[in-house]
Amino acid sequence: MQKEQRALQKLINFRLPRQFMNIGLVLALSLIVLMFFRATLLGEASLLMRDTLQRALLVGMLIMSITRDREEDEMTIQFRMQSYGWAFVMGVIYALIMPFVEFGVSIVVNGDGEAFKSLGDFQMLLFMLMVQLMCYHVLKRYR
Amino acid sequence: MENTIKVERAILSLTQGDLAKKIGVSRQTINSIEANRYVPSTVLALKLSKVFNKPVNDFFKLSADD
Repeated sequence: MQKEQRALQKLINFRLPRQFMNIGLVLALSLIVLMFFRATLLGEASLLMRDTLQRALLVGMLIMSITRDREEDEMTIQFRMQSYGWAFVMGVIYALIMPFVEFGVSIVVNGDGEAFKSLGDFQMLLFMLMVQLMCYHVLKRYR
Repeated sequence: MENTIKVERAILSLTQGDLAKKIGVSRQTINSIEANRYVPSTVLALKLSKVFNKPVNDFFKLSADD
């Protein structure tokens, strides 16, 4: 039982080494640039490439999210947990509200409006990761 | 929770950075504890107790709203 608890604790406390922050940041930024070029140059012709870039962007942001802080201690661990909590709550609110907002905007822009659709997994996960990273850095800034 | 860590630190002529290094946290964490913005864990409180050579109750006190 104790061995299992220790293994679980080790898994919960898992963080990537500090150097991964730069890797994640460079990966995310370069993928945003690539996504911009793909959208403007290739349009809807490269859906496989779009999906691949989206997934790679999520990986880059996840790396940033689980990288150890320069001065990791119990307060930064608490901030990280709080930021994940906020990301979850905001994510649920976003998923509930955003389809209605998109539907309303499409009615205003197009007149008749597009078909009502739910959020995609990329949009949802990107939003949650963005909220987590922002919350964590805001909490750290005002500590 | 209120504390007198700033006083205890001054008695030992330690900077926030010195104390942070001794107990293995960041200087900002010490600053937040001193300003009552962060309540440390029992482990951290006991580490402070070891540095100050005093029981935890001597420098941590419950406040009226606790």
